[in-house]
Amino acid sequence: MSGMTRTSAGTALGGLRQDGFRYVNIVQGNRGVSRDPQTMFTTVLGSCVAACLFDPDAKIGGMNHFLLAEPDEDQHVDAVAAQRYGVHAMELLINEMLQVGADRRRLRGHLYGGANLHAGMRAIGTSNAEFAIRFLRDEGIPLMAQNLGGTAARRVDFQPAHGRARCRIVQDTVADEVPRRVAPIRPAAPSGDLELF
Amino acid sequence: MSRTIMTVDDSPSMRALLRNALAAQGYTVAEAEDGVDALERIDASAPDLVITDINMPRMDGFGLIEALRGRSAYAGTPILVLTTEFSDEKKARARNAGATGWIVKPFHPDKLASAIRRVLL
Repeated sequence: MSGMTRTSAGTALGGLRQDGFRYVNIVQGNRGVSRDPQTMFTTVLGSCVAACLFDPDAKIGGMNHFLLAEPDEDQHVDAVAAQRYGVHAMELLINEMLQVGADRRRLRGHLYGGANLHAGMRAIGTSNAEFAIRFLRDEGIPLMAQNLGGTAARRVDFQPAHGRARCRIVQDTVADEVPRRVAPIRPAAPSGDLELF
Repeated sequence: MSRTIMTVDDSPSMRALLRNALAAQGYTVAEAEDGVDALERIDASAPDLVITDINMPRMDGFGLIEALRGRSAYAGTPILVLTTEFSDEKKARARNAGATGWIVKPFHPDKLASAIRRVLL
C-alpha cells in the first residue's frame, strides 16, 4: 500500500490492476484517506452509507463506510445516539483529511448507499442517508453527487486523488455478501470517560 | 444562576450536539468555531468552563489552552478537551498546556454531565 494512503484497517486488495489502480477495501466502520493517484477505495454498501470527500486543491480524498443504528427488538432506534455516532464517523474522516493537508472549507462530498435491503427491517438505510445529507448541509460541504436509497446493494469505487467515483448496482449474489445485520459504528478507543490531569 | 460553558469546535454538527446536551442540563452555552474565535468571544460570556476540540483551523485546542492560561482572568478556569484523539503524546501536550481533563469522542451525555459536575465545583 502506498505511504500516501492511510486507512483505519482498510484492506489492500493485491497490487496494481490493469486499470492502473491499487484497490483498497473500506469495510463497515472503517475509512481511508489518500492523495495517491493510483489508489482506489472500494466498498459494497447495503443500508450503510459511504461518504466520499475531496479537496480539489490539495487533491486529497477520503471515504468512510458507516451505519448509524439498527432497531432493537422493539423496533426502537435511539435517534440522538445515532446522531452522535454519525457525527463521530464523519469527524474521524474529516480530521484525517485535515491532518494530511486538506482544508475543510474546500471539501466536496459524494454520498452513496442507504438502501433498504431487507423487508421487515425499519428503513435504516433511509435514516443513514438522511443523516449524511443533513450532515453535509450543516457543515457547509457541497454535495456534488449522490446515489442513495432504493432496495439494491451498490458497489462504489472512489479515486481519492482525483475525486472521481463510480457507483454500480450489484447483483443479488454480491448483495448477499452484505451482512443482514451489522453492528453500528463504535469507537475504537474507550470514549466518553473523563481523564482528569 | 445558570453556569456558562463555552464549547469550541469547528464542526457545526458537533456544536449542535453539545448545545443540546448542555442546555438539557441547565447550562448556558456560548460557542466558538476555533481557538481564534474563542479568544475573541470569551470575555463576552465569561464562562465557568471551556470544552474544546483539538483539531481546528487557525488555532487548535493546544494553542487555545496556552493562550487562556496566559490570561489572568482564565488562569483557573477549568478546560476540558473533547476530541477524537487519544494518544498519550497529545494528552501530555494538553496537560502541559494547562488542560484540566480529557474526554474522547463520541461523548455520552450522562458521562459528560458527570464530568462537568466534577470540575465545576
